Amino acid sequence: MRKTLVFLTIVSLLTISPVLVIGQSKGDLLIKNATVMTASKGTLEATDVLVENGKITRIGKGLTAGSGVRTIDATGKYVTPGIIDAHSHAMVSAINEGSVAVSSMTRIADMLNPTDIGIYRALAGGVTGALLLHGSANPIGGQSSTVKFKFGRPVSEFPIQGAPPGIKFALGENVKRSNFTPQPGQTARYPRTRMGTMEVIRDAFVRAREYKQAWEDFRAKKTRVQPRIDEELQPLVEVLEGKRLVHCHGYRSDEHLNLLRMAEEFGFKIGTLQHGLEAYKIAPEVAKHGAGVSIFADSWSYKLEAYDSIPYNGYILWKNGITVSINSDSGERIRRLNIDAAKMMKYGGVPEQDALRMITLNPAIQLGIANRTGSIDVGKDGDITIWSGHPFSALSLAEMTIIEGDVYFDRAKDRTMRAELAKEKADLEKLDMNRAPGTGGTPPRVPSERNSGDYHDNEDGGNER
Amino acid sequence: MRSKLLALSFAAICTLFSVAASGQSYAITNARIVTVSGATIEKGTVVVRNGLIAAVGANVTAPPDATVLNAGGATVYPGFIDTATNLGVPAAAAGTGGGGPGGGGGGQAAAAAAAAAAQNTSNSNYPAGLRPEVTVSEIIRAGDAQFESNRNAGFTTAVTMGRTGIFPGQSAVIDLAGDSVSAMILKDPFAHHISFATIPGTYPGSLLGTFSALRQIFNDAKRLQDMQKAYAADPRGMPRPGSDRSLEALFPAINRQMPVVFNANRALEINRALDLIKEYNLVGVIAGGQEAWKLSERLKAQNVPVLVSLNFPRRTAAASPDADPESLDILRFRAETPKGPGRLAQAGVKFAFSSGGATSMADFFTNAGKAVENGLSRDAAIRAMTLGAAEILGLSDRIGSIETGKIANLVVIKGDLFGRDKFASHVFVDGKLFEQREPTRAGPGGRGPGGAGPGPGAATASNLGGTYSITIDVPGQPLPATLNLQQQGTAMTGTMVSQLGTSPITNGRATANGFSFTTTVQFGGASIDITVQGTVNGSSISGTVDSPQGNVSFSGTRNPSFSE
Repeated sequence: MRKTLVFLTIVSLLTISPVLVIGQSKGDLLIKNATVMTASKGTLEATDVLVENGKITRIGKGLTAGSGVRTIDATGKYVTPGIIDAHSHAMVSAINEGSVAVSSMTRIADMLNPTDIGIYRALAGGVTGALLLHGSANPIGGQSSTVKFKFGRPVSEFPIQGAPPGIKFALGENVKRSNFTPQPGQTARYPRTRMGTMEVIRDAFVRAREYKQAWEDFRAKKTRVQPRIDEELQPLVEVLEGKRLVHCHGYRSDEHLNLLRMAEEFGFKIGTLQHGLEAYKIAPEVAKHGAGVSIFADSWSYKLEAYDSIPYNGYILWKNGITVSINSDSGERIRRLNIDAAKMMKYGGVPEQDALRMITLNPAIQLGIANRTGSIDVGKDGDITIWSGHPFSALSLAEMTIIEGDVYFDRAKDRTMRAELAKEKADLEKLDMNRAPGTGGTPPRVPSERNSGDYHDNEDGGNER
Repeated sequence: MRSKLLALSFAAICTLFSVAASGQSYAITNARIVTVSGATIEKGTVVVRNGLIAAVGANVTAPPDATVLNAGGATVYPGFIDTATNLGVPAAAAGTGGGGPGGGGGGQAAAAAAAAAAQNTSNSNYPAGLRPEVTVSEIIRAGDAQFESNRNAGFTTAVTMGRTGIFPGQSAVIDLAGDSVSAMILKDPFAHHISFATIPGTYPGSLLGTFSALRQIFNDAKRLQDMQKAYAADPRGMPRPGSDRSLEALFPAINRQMPVVFNANRALEINRALDLIKEYNLVGVIAGGQEAWKLSERLKAQNVPVLVSLNFPRRTAAASPDADPESLDILRFRAETPKGPGRLAQAGVKFAFSSGGATSMADFFTNAGKAVENGLSRDAAIRAMTLGAAEILGLSDRIGSIETGKIANLVVIKGDLFGRDKFASHVFVDGKLFEQREPTRAGPGGRGPGGAGPGPGAATASNLGGTYSITIDVPGQPLPATLNLQQQGTAMTGTMVSQLGTSPITNGRATANGFSFTTTVQFGGASIDITVQGTVNGSSISGTVDSPQGNVSFSGTRNPSFSE
């Protein structure tokens, strides 16, 4: 009863676009009798997981919770850590600042749209968190945002507090604009070649070093002239200082290798190589550098520089001891990452837990948030997905997606909600302001829309994939 | 001796002129007086003298030298204030051309040259669109026809701002009458304005870049001010910090001496604006604000008032079997908007009304009436277009209510203010009287009276409906587009289709020889509002497209219609 009241209050407070508003935000939950795939300590049969105040407090058998704590009977069901997508553009209003080669001044955090229905769809695929990246139109792109998909909550609650900041870099075709049709009024932009791309990155770090020095001189009172607060160079100084993770889009292994070498020259480490569909060619070098790789499971040949990909890429990288994650970079694939992880078992035979890690613990490690999420362990956040069957079965569905002990997606509720929303929509369409004016002539022709769930180019004048 | 006489007679003539201009006295008698600041006087008199309100009350008698206007029971309100307009700003000017330097397409005609010229006339270090030093008072011209039509609807005062750019320029508060701009100005500058626009073709070309460009310009303004202070205190041994008109124009904003108005309508945009207001400790105002009610708590906490647009959203695209269904989000937004002002009032958020780009001022009152039907009190609605607006503009000591000593900005309304059959019979601006004859009702289907809309007897073209193939002369990159238009009386509906997508048209009107409408296109991650004006001549069509990035022309042909 009290829960219903709280629910109603929240609904009336928000009354808004988020289709689903979570019922309780106390973060207490007990999951009973599930097959728990921990991603850290193997699979536990007929096990209970207790979440209190948003954190996993106990894992075991015969657990009980205080009164008022929601208990979910998960008999016959599977429990995994919530999936983390290490490369997504969900809920981002603008993705590329393509006008300049270095757009490190831009912040994805400015662009978050908490009402994007893509978030809800991701939740329906068992995804609880993501790295939201700038597009790949620039050698150095914008600052990324690491979020949990708390759909229905205010936008300020999405970014994970304390997650290390990140930045997008990009190499190859998208950057040199070889597969890009300029929009009206746009002109060609340097760089136009792969060597130009490396020059732009080197030049930016040389400038960042000088900028850093200028501030150090000012703080040491060597000069009275205060340097400007430079939105472009400040994040690059943080990269040089090892405080900001670089996530670099790239396909050709020679380019990724060049970037690793340049990072070593400037004294920092690359966080992840994004895409890296032929990273298997440089696996020992990547392992030595210590970078992670975030790949597609078996998507390739959609452009020239993606031709050398093989489905065994993930296996070879894993075999070399590299932290591998599988990402979606797509509003559609983000709902099927569990199947992409399963493919790692098929191609090469990655063990089950290591395959699961590629969509849970490994992306958490790559994003620097493994201390609080990515596996089912006591002390970590209650970010959990409950599956109808084994998550690697194509027949299984995410039934409940839970973030910090609160249910953000509930398939049973979703089914009842559809009828309610259909009725609401029908009612709204009857209102004057929503009624179409009478047609006076030929009906407007509506051209078939490009599938916005699939990327390549986008309206921002840039590319994502 | 003779010269003394001359001087005297000259002085006499001058005095006579000023009497004629504003010295005339009026007494509006037998009127219901909505003072707004105090109780409504059911039957009383307002005396206007020397441009000011000389007396108001139930027992005030008309002075012997005053022209008596018997209101016959009609209602006198303080002159209405529209808190967000582009009145008097020519569509072409705006001083913020934008538009990238053309790619060099030989002879890309006047538009490109004009855009380039607009860029080159400034010594600013910033691209057009990012120049906060632009002031609207430089651009507007007295005697603009738009002033008259708004005045005829009962508006005496407006905030007018530039049309284009991220910084559309510093706005001014003007009275809608006067022989010169300086005579019209009540406050100049009033505020900085910020639109979340982009500058296609250059940085910032996306919404992402708009935010970083704003941060950088505020950072740099703060630093320049600090350095100039340090240099003024002790120049020796310090390189000269120099001068930058664009950055210096922002000093009053960062010093909280001048408000910064953010054009933000949906909750998402308002939230982003509130973040910037907080980050740079600005005196913030939201213009648009149709979803501001969703952020009432935040607005109150940050003490940010809202200039709520009464240009309420409604569906304008005709039903088509091929059209995508509209999203629940849009359907809800349209349904909730009329409830917004009532919710803001209940939450205690300061707000005033604005026309928000509505082309018909009749919509202003109709939609204010809808807000009243949806939970806003009548008094609060009237306040939001008078004293409440004056308070936000910092002018409540001189306008916004009917009080002795205040500027004589008044309007006499016959009929219910929020009803269809109302009429502003007398409008005083700075004590200057403008009279209107009640329009004769048009034939069936004619728009209600109200002094707005197309002028009396303005014939409109008919049979404009159809499909037009046009080419918009974007410098360096001509943009083909298709207009699908339907006409119903003077209203136009339909869509504009180009490689930027399909956008439904809004505010569509048939004009004497063509049509005009507004629409929104998505470009570079931002929504760009454009105004299209077309002239139809047989099967050919030409016209202009005004956007925040500048003004370009288009031409094309009407497609033959096929009957099946």
